[in-house]
Amino acid sequence: MAKILVVDDEEHIRLLYSEELGEAGYEVVTAADGYKLIERIDDERPDLVILDIKMIDYNGLDLLQEIRNKFYNLPVILCTAYDTFKEDMKSIAADFYVIKSFDLTELKKKIAMALEANIPSP
Amino acid sequence: MFEHEVNPENIKKATFVVAIPSYNEADSIAFPVQQADKGIQSFFGNMKSVIINCDNNSSDGTKEIFLGTKTGTPKIYISTEPGIKGKGNNFRNLFKKVVDLDAQGVVAVDADLKSITPKWIRHLGEPLFQDFGYVAPLYVRHKYDGTITNSIAYPLIRSLYGRRVRQPIGGDFGLCGRLAHTYLQSDTWSDAVANFGIDIWMTTLAMTENIPICQAFMGRPKIHRAKDPGSDLGPMFRQVVGTIFNMMIRFYPFWSNVKWSKPTAIFGFGLGETEMPPPVKVNKEILFQKFHAGFESYGRIWEKVLPKETVNKLEEIREMDRGQFDFPMHLWINVLIDFAVAYKDRLWRVDELLDSLVPLYLGETLSYVKKTERMSIREAEEFIEEECIQFEASKGRLIQCWKEKTSA
Repeated sequence: MAKILVVDDEEHIRLLYSEELGEAGYEVVTAADGYKLIERIDDERPDLVILDIKMIDYNGLDLLQEIRNKFYNLPVILCTAYDTFKEDMKSIAADFYVIKSFDLTELKKKIAMALEANIPSP
Repeated sequence: MFEHEVNPENIKKATFVVAIPSYNEADSIAFPVQQADKGIQSFFGNMKSVIINCDNNSSDGTKEIFLGTKTGTPKIYISTEPGIKGKGNNFRNLFKKVVDLDAQGVVAVDADLKSITPKWIRHLGEPLFQDFGYVAPLYVRHKYDGTITNSIAYPLIRSLYGRRVRQPIGGDFGLCGRLAHTYLQSDTWSDAVANFGIDIWMTTLAMTENIPICQAFMGRPKIHRAKDPGSDLGPMFRQVVGTIFNMMIRFYPFWSNVKWSKPTAIFGFGLGETEMPPPVKVNKEILFQKFHAGFESYGRIWEKVLPKETVNKLEEIREMDRGQFDFPMHLWINVLIDFAVAYKDRLWRVDELLDSLVPLYLGETLSYVKKTERMSIREAEEFIEEECIQFEASKGRLIQCWKEKTSA
């Protein structure tokens, strides 16, 4: 069972994702902010991270940079209510970018693609 | 008198190298040399460094301008033999020199760059002394600058090898010393690689060797001699696309096991506001005309290498006037797949086969230009990203066609 870490400061989003992704067969763990996120990832060893871009006190795009530098291949999906964040080129270090919605069809599709992505060793 | 190498300070060892390949760049090379020098002094001042000009024995005084440009960093000039041209040949000389010097990090930048700053050297070089072995540039380019990259190189390389490198033929790179050894030992060198195929060859080998890759954000757009995509492509198209197809043959066991793609780390943000690139003008009428001329020149090749339904689709597009013109993305992907397979199976003489792809590429480019006309640069980027996902989703068809033809 793939383990997903949801990082979002909105409680209802964490609950929604936990419930829906749990029903879809994923193990879901959550974090309410980016505090010690790298240590948390080190401890939890998730297969994928869903990361909110705009959180109180934390910029998801900066956290993405930290994650990418430490965990080169860990899939990260950026989630935001604001489409304008696509303008920031930092977002291309994410596997995918999804606009927040109560309908998680697109998010689930992108999760499946990110988890399936495979690059073999030579 | 021809001199293969001029090394005024008799440099034998260097930790860090900045290389500038050239052919007849006397009027432009001084600027990147000065910027490279400033970059070295500001960010790599604690390392033994050298600036190398790898030249094709230019006749316009490139060597004299290079050696005469005042720098604090020592310089070495090396050249191919008289009559030997090609950017790839310059790089091969560079790789040998890097190995001789026992350098740990190498940054290569184009000689015609007008927008390079010292920070470009830092951003392409610093990751090499951290965890990365290959650094590709990431700059904001105008949506019509680099159409071979947008239509072929980026989506194909990404879907084949699974790594998202937005500028796989960007011309400016960083590479670790170990990779220079790997390049020299590779058995995939070809005439195309010796010329403009070198950039895509380097990027592809970095991926197939699983070298940690990052993209360095340059902050400024690449301003150089940008071309209208409809203007004469010369041998560049043939060399770049031929190299991609050649590498596909060699690395089938690798890419056939790649599914979807992964992003790369980004280095070098925090440069402040990103500068927007100057516009690139496109002559849509020429694209339209050259697409149509392709039927006359290459129709019999298309009939030989493409399935009948694809040829029929092309005939449908031929009937469209310029206002209606649309070259659908799925059709373009299928065309590229069938050309790659035809190249592998030698269904036609390869040079002519690659030339026959040009009018179709120009048709697809016209379609892209029309669809993105009203889009911002960022929106056009998203459009390309969506197209890349279509390329990745077509991987199954590519593998199927590749196998079928092999066993036929």
